[in-house]
Amino acid sequence: MHLDPAILERTGAIAGGIIVGIVAFYALYKDWATPGVENQVFKLMLLLLGVGAVLAILAGVGALGTFKTA
Amino acid sequence: MAVASIAHGSSPEHPVDQLYAETRELRLQGFLLFLISDCVLFSSFIFAYLYLRNSGQGWPPPGIKHLDVAFAAWNSVLLFGSGATMHYALENWKHGNFMKYMWMLIFTIVLGAGFLGGQAYEYTHLIFGEHVSWWGSGIFGASFFTLTGMHGFHVFVGVCYLTVLLLQSAAGVYNGQKFFGITAGTLYWHFVDVIWVVLFSIFYLL
Repeated sequence: MHLDPAILERTGAIAGGIIVGIVAFYALYKDWATPGVENQVFKLMLLLLGVGAVLAILAGVGALGTFKTA
Repeated sequence: MAVASIAHGSSPEHPVDQLYAETRELRLQGFLLFLISDCVLFSSFIFAYLYLRNSGQGWPPPGIKHLDVAFAAWNSVLLFGSGATMHYALENWKHGNFMKYMWMLIFTIVLGAGFLGGQAYEYTHLIFGEHVSWWGSGIFGASFFTLTGMHGFHVFVGVCYLTVLLLQSAAGVYNGQKFFGITAGTLYWHFVDVIWVVLFSIFYLL
């Protein structure tokens, strides 16, 4: 049986994206009230990390980008 | 565990530690300025790429197909996952969980190295399989390899930095009050992640 590597990559992207997204948004929620410049930067970066995870999920399900090889 | 208890139990009254605590904010500001300057560097390349992309006749240029989004998404998740493990490495350090901190740092290094391996595979596939190169594929090749290469170099530097952090932590260089190196490493690694969110979007998703 031949398994398309793209299916594995897409599945990995979706599963990994869900895990990373949950971790990033949970960490953001947990750290929401923390004061200080350093923590504000961390919160911004966690938010963007969560956005990245959502983009990876959307790319994995085929909602963004096209699945062609250069 | 012995290292953890020793490391987190050192006295903050020592003059060097006092000086460290007093100058911490200054060093944090300095490091944030470094990240902002790096952000400006990436921004100039990104805006140049977007300008060139929108001034041409369609994108990608004729003769060049789309990039492999499935592989890029998988590789991106490796890097984003390393951002999450690095965040928890710092959290574990702050809470005095030395072994968890060390494992999270090791996971971060492995995931970062995995991302670099994926990028090397993609480059090999593009250059030797599809004959897309930095020097011979016009604006597309030049922008793609310059931006992703520059980012890859940052990831490589980050992996080296985190490896040094791992060795320093094992040697007991940091303690409960003195751990700015770990904070800076976490900030740098998050920065590298965030830059990839932008690069992944503009090269693979748009």
